[in-house]
Order: sequence, then structure tokens, then C-alpha cells
Amino acid sequence: MTEKDIPEWLLKNENYFPQSDKDTFINKSITSLLGVLSHIRRQSGHKTDLFGINATFSVIFTILFIILLSVSRSLFFVITANIYLLLILCLLKGEDIMVILKTSFGVAAFTFIILLPTALYGNFYSITMITPKIFASVTAINILSRTNRWDSIISALKTFFIPDIFILVLDVTIMYIVLLGEFSLDMLYALKLRSVGKNKSKQASLSGIVGTMFIKSKEMAEDTYAAMRCRGFTGEYHTYRKFKFSFVDSLYIIANAIIILCFIYFGRYFRK
Amino acid sequence: MHIPDNYLSPSTCAVMGAAMIPVWTIAVKKVKKEVPKERIPLLGIGAAFSFLLMMFNVPIPGGTTAHAIGATLLAILLGPWAATISITIALLIQALLFGDGGILAFGANCFNMAFVAPFVGYFIYKFIKERVSARKGEYIGIVAGSYIGINMAALCAAIEFGIQPLLFKNAAGLPLYCPYPLSVSIPAMMISHLAVAGIVEVIFTIAIYAFIKRVSPGMIYEGAKQKIKSVYAIIFALICLSPLGLLATGTAWGEWGLDEIKNVIIGGKSLGFIPEGMKNGFSFNALFPDYSMKGMPDAIGYILSALAGAAILIIIFKIISALKKGKPKNI
Amino acid sequence: MIEITNVSYSYSNIPALKNISLNILKGESVTLMGANGCGKSTLLKLISGIITPDSGSYKYHGEEITEKKLRDSKFSKLFHQKIGFVFQNSQTQLFCPEVYDEIAFGPRQMGIDEAEVENRVKDCLKLLDIEGLKYRAPYHLSEGEKRKVAIACVLSLNPEVLVLDEPLNGLDPRTQRWLVEFLINFNKSGKTLIISTHNLEFLQEISSRAILFNEDHSIAADMAMENILEDIDLLKKVNLIDEYYHKHVGNKHSHFHLHNY
Repeated sequence: MTEKDIPEWLLKNENYFPQSDKDTFINKSITSLLGVLSHIRRQSGHKTDLFGINATFSVIFTILFIILLSVSRSLFFVITANIYLLLILCLLKGEDIMVILKTSFGVAAFTFIILLPTALYGNFYSITMITPKIFASVTAINILSRTNRWDSIISALKTFFIPDIFILVLDVTIMYIVLLGEFSLDMLYALKLRSVGKNKSKQASLSGIVGTMFIKSKEMAEDTYAAMRCRGFTGEYHTYRKFKFSFVDSLYIIANAIIILCFIYFGRYFRK
Repeated sequence: MHIPDNYLSPSTCAVMGAAMIPVWTIAVKKVKKEVPKERIPLLGIGAAFSFLLMMFNVPIPGGTTAHAIGATLLAILLGPWAATISITIALLIQALLFGDGGILAFGANCFNMAFVAPFVGYFIYKFIKERVSARKGEYIGIVAGSYIGINMAALCAAIEFGIQPLLFKNAAGLPLYCPYPLSVSIPAMMISHLAVAGIVEVIFTIAIYAFIKRVSPGMIYEGAKQKIKSVYAIIFALICLSPLGLLATGTAWGEWGLDEIKNVIIGGKSLGFIPEGMKNGFSFNALFPDYSMKGMPDAIGYILSALAGAAILIIIFKIISALKKGKPKNI
Repeated sequence: MIEITNVSYSYSNIPALKNISLNILKGESVTLMGANGCGKSTLLKLISGIITPDSGSYKYHGEEITEKKLRDSKFSKLFHQKIGFVFQNSQTQLFCPEVYDEIAFGPRQMGIDEAEVENRVKDCLKLLDIEGLKYRAPYHLSEGEKRKVAIACVLSLNPEVLVLDEPLNGLDPRTQRWLVEFLINFNKSGKTLIISTHNLEFLQEISSRAILFNEDHSIAADMAMENILEDIDLLKKVNLIDEYYHKHVGNKHSHFHLHNY
């Protein structure tokens, strides 16, 4: 091959002035996927669960906490619950606190806005009860998911009678969210780089990416299947988490017992 | 369309969860039959795909973007039962690990998005495809299926919201959970879904289906070979609505619309929430009967405020130092 | 030990192997060579039991390996314990949430008790120098780290045969050197080694025997490694080298150079 083989238009400069076109869907999708992937990446850095509290207890008590919040009719309990969460929050790292509060405030603010019409009509009960309840629930679940290893949380689901094989499915799901997510992200970047003008068929571009993601996912499935078989997998799976009970666990249980007592106490005081 | 916690009463959540248990059980059985034991982990890939589908922004005419759920798409590609499992897992991961909320409402969300949406969409798709000529029938089926599927799911959510103020009130007559009755929740949910979200689903589903069909048609779920009898469609629709019917017992269905509207129209009274005692201004105690401090030892109040104050100070300090770390040092 | 007789295979009408026959003895170190797409990976997958031949036979220790036999859970487990396969794309074979679990997966499936499993995992981590990665998620590792984890999780099965598909691809020079040393030692300890590559560096160090593939998916040559590397015409014919290829005398020498055209 010599210089003579290269077509003329490649040897000249391009004189191009782009028209305006909105490609926000590419950017928004990229942002969305990046958010997901970095969220997963952040949590995989943990070596242990929060303060060494057994994830099983964390999961059970967090869900119990959310149930109590939902059932409670005492604003006092809701406020106490929020204070309890603030106390836990101040034990965490600064970045974690920021991210958790960002989500909680975001969701609570959104709720506040949605409930505003009822307040304007004179119903202050909903807005004053539901908003802090939602703030607390979202904070609680975010504390759980940010301070524990996800595979500990997933293993902890065994207490809810989920069979071992589905624990494996959940682990595989998270892995594939990362792999397929990164794969799609690359395609989105490629699309963005090639979006130099007016894209009359935005749908086609997006559906191409998603469609390819589907096809790739099927191929990955085949590969995972082969890999599992090669290591002796024939359908049975057992999880192997060591169940340790330590001093911190007893502290955690006591703290939650206090919460439950508060729930009963305030509830009894103000039951009408 | 994800329902957060505290909008539905725990009993509603429990009922919806109970309604999903047979669905999940059957889905697992059906999938196990078609997928051999050692391929079960591959369901995780369907779930990952379902999860990621919800992350994409779909461009719609007019320049805006929106999110789709892709329930009908999943049902067509993987089969309805595998779709149910995939979406369920995706919702579980969203709620539990991504902390978007919806732990207690998990059952309700699964019912709407993992059961009603894919199944309604799939059956309508098949129904039309079997009765209208080949290619046209397929695409009409997809359009109708995905549009109606998502809107049925939205309707279910709207009903779940709307019956809350009718069924769950405190002694003062105030709604404990979602305060918007059916007359508000149904139009609110349905207008946005019929006008926007439904269209997004259709565009999303059709475009992706067409792509996969062209590039790799062998990957699409084959599905049951028999035709679906019309009577099953009716039975199915009834089964879908029955848990909601269960919740609505005790409420006369006809009443809700007229009464609420009447109250709004007649000046002075608003939405029928506020009992007589509140007509003349709002006294704090009457507004927050649960907050009254009568008989409550002062000490508890003080301790709680102190704890709260200290915690907030610590949090503010930590946030400030974390922000500082992120800023580059000046040379 | 491994007897492949007149084997052919196609991926839905696309031919991948054409009438392949070869024997591999216990303890040998064999390299499959050929351009991309010639069928090396397919043959390795066949040896590992991931696919079975369309025609011809594959015998392992005298026993014929068929699809039907592999469907038997007990047979399949035993067979897969004996032959460890490291995929070309390391990510493909990593599916556990933690490196520790990944390496422990094989032995756990074998039913070995947890104490011994922990032992094996510790040893594998040390052997491959990845002790620091114990609790990391495999899909967040770098390419070289993933390769090491992939090898570790196959090693923990204690296979008789180690099959690696393009193991040196995409690795930095230091890791490549490490892997070459590792494979040499592994083979010296009595295990059988079968690798595939289209890269001519390192080959003489790793294997004594080379099997060369034609681009038409048949075998071009099966002989001692030195002989193949001398036969420049043959290497050109199968598209393993281009017209600028040249060897330095005493092949341990290499340098970076440019050609002027």
C-alpha cells in the first residue's frame, strides 16, 4: 500500500459546520449508567461490614425499623427514629454521609412537593408525618447499603427463606450489571463521539445499543454457563458465610431494642 | 412508577406481597421446566438486562427524554415468566442495594411492574399476533401490548394509592398514608402514562425488538404454540384486578368520585378531611394530636434534643472536611 | 492420554475444525499455533469438554468423551476436575462476588471440607502473588490481575491437565515473564500443559512440541518446537509471520527496531 492508494477525501481537511441537535438522551443515559457503575464500585472497597456488625442483623433490623416507621402514628417516634439515624450517621465517613443525605433529602423534598397540595387544602397531617417518615426510611436503607458489603447483604437474605441458588443469581446479577453496564457505556461513548451532526434516527441509535446489549448478554450467559460447568457446577450451590456473633452485635441489638421500646411507649402514650 | 415506602399502608403492602407469592412460585416452576438446573444463574443476566433497561433515557419526539421499563419487551424476548423473575430481581436490587426506597412497597411494585405490565403486554401481543396477518400483526401486537401493559400497571398503582385515604385514617379522620383519593390519583397517574410514559414504552419496545429481530432473531423466546382463547384473557384480567378488589371491600366503589368533587366545589369545606373542630383556625395540639407532650417527662425531650444537636454538629463537620479533601490545594 | 481422531466441528455451518487427529501424552507441554480463527480455541474447548465433536472421536485416558456422558452429573464433575481450562477472555470465567469465593468455588463443588478449601485458596493466592486481592470483586480487577485469578481458580481444582487459551495476550511484559516461568515450572512438576497462541515469543521456553494449524482449520504440522520455528516458509504459509519477520541467532535476544520503506 502506498500514499496513492488512500482516497482523496481522506487527504483533505473537512470544512464542516454542525447544525444544532439535541442529544441529551445520550448524555443522560451515560450519566445514569455511570452513576450505577460508580455506586457499585464504591461498595466493593469495603473489607468488612459496618463496625463488624453482622450483616444479617443489619438487614433484619433495618427492615424492622422501616416497618415500625410505616406503622407508627406518633410523630414523636418518627422524630426519635430520625435522631437515632443521625447518631449513626455521625459515626460514618464524610463522603458516605454526603451521599446518603443527598438521596434522603432529595426524596424527602420531592415528597414534600407532592404533598404540598394537601397542606394547602388544610391537611397538615400527611405532610408532617409522611415527609420525615420517608426521610428516615430512605436514610436507613442507604446506611445499610453503603456500609455493608453487598454480598453480605445478599447472603443475609437467606433468613427470609430465599434458596441458596437465588443468592448465586443475585450475585451474578450484580456482576452482569457491571459488565453489561460497562459494555453499554462504551457504546454510548462511541455514539457520542460519532454524534457530530443531526441524528435523524435517534431511536435507531439507542435501540441499536440496547439491542446489542441484549445479544451480548446472551453470549455472556453462554460463557458463564461453560465456565461454571468447567468448575464442576451441576446446579447445586451452597453459601458459606461464617456466622460470627461479637460484642458490637450485642450493642446493635440493644440499640434496636430501645427503638422498639420507644415505638411501643410513644404509641401507647398517644394512641387514640 | 416505582412506589416509595410510606405511601401505602403496611397492610396494603402485605396484601400485595401475598398476591405475588403464588405468582413467584409459579414463575420459578415454569422457568425451572424450561431452563435446566445448571443454567439457573443465567437468570441473573436477564435481571441485569432488565435493571439496565430502566437506566436508559429514551429520546421522544419533541426533544425530551424519559425512562422506560421494558416489561413487555422482556416478556417478548425472554418469555413472560422469566420476565417476571428478571424484573423482580432488578426491583429487589434497586430497593435494597441502591436505596431508592420501596422496601415495604416491594410487593406492590412487583405486582405492577413485574406481573401486570409484562403479562398484560405479552398476552395482548400474542392475542393480536395470532389473529392479524404475520408481520403487521406482530408490530400492532407489540404497540398495543406495550402501551396497554404499562398503562394497566399505572392504573394498578393509581388504585393502590387512591384507596389509601379511604381505608386508612386516624381517629381525626386524616389519611395516614397517601392522602390523594382515587379521584386524584387515577387522573394524575393515568394522564402522564397515557400521554407520555406509554408512548416511550412503545417506541422503546418496538425499536429494540426490530433491531434484535433483524440481527439475531434466534434469540427471541419461542413461547407456547397454542392460541390463546379469548375467555382466558377475560379471566386473566379479572385475576389481575382481584387483589385490588379485596382491598376495596368495605368501600362503596361508586361513592368516591362524586363526594370528593362535591366537597371541593362547595366553598369553605375542602376535600372532607378536616373535622369540625378545625374550622376556626389551626391550633397546634389539634393538628398534631400525636405530638402532645401531656404527661411526657420533660427529661426525654431534653435528651433527645441534645443528642440530635450533637449528631448534627458532627455530621456538618464531617461533611465540611470531606468537601475540603475534594478541593485541590492552591499552589 | 488425550486421543483425538478425525475430529471435525462447525459452529452452525461455520467450520471450525477439519479432520483433526493428534495424541498428547501425560506430562507433555504442547502449543497449538496458528492465525486468528484457525480453530485453536475450538480444539481447546473440545479437549476441555465444553463442546463435543460433530464427527470423529475424543478419548481421554481411553474413555470416549461424548455429550451423553457429560450430561451425567457425576461423570461431568470428575472430568472437569481433571482438565482445567483457562479461557481466552479472563472475565468470562469469573462469576463470584469475591476473589476468595472464586478460587474456593471449584473445591467447594468437589465437596472438600471448608478447612482444606481455605488451605488451598491461601496456597493459590500465594502462588500467584494475589494475596492482596482476596476480598476484591473480580470484575473490578485489571487485566493481569484477572488473568491470575482465572488461573488460580482453575488451579485450586488440582487438575492433571492445564489448558490455556492465548494466556499471554494483553499482559504487560513483567506479568508475561512471570506467567512463562509459572507454566514452565507447572509442567516440570509432571502436569500436562496445552496452550494456544499466535504470538511466537516465549514459545521455545514453554513447549517442546508445536502443532501448527492452517487457516482452513486443518493441521499443517505437528513436530518439535525448534523445527517449526526454523521453517520460515511454513510459518508464512499459515499466516503466523509476515514478510519482515526475521530471527536473531541465539533466540534470547530481542530489540525494538524500525524498517525504512
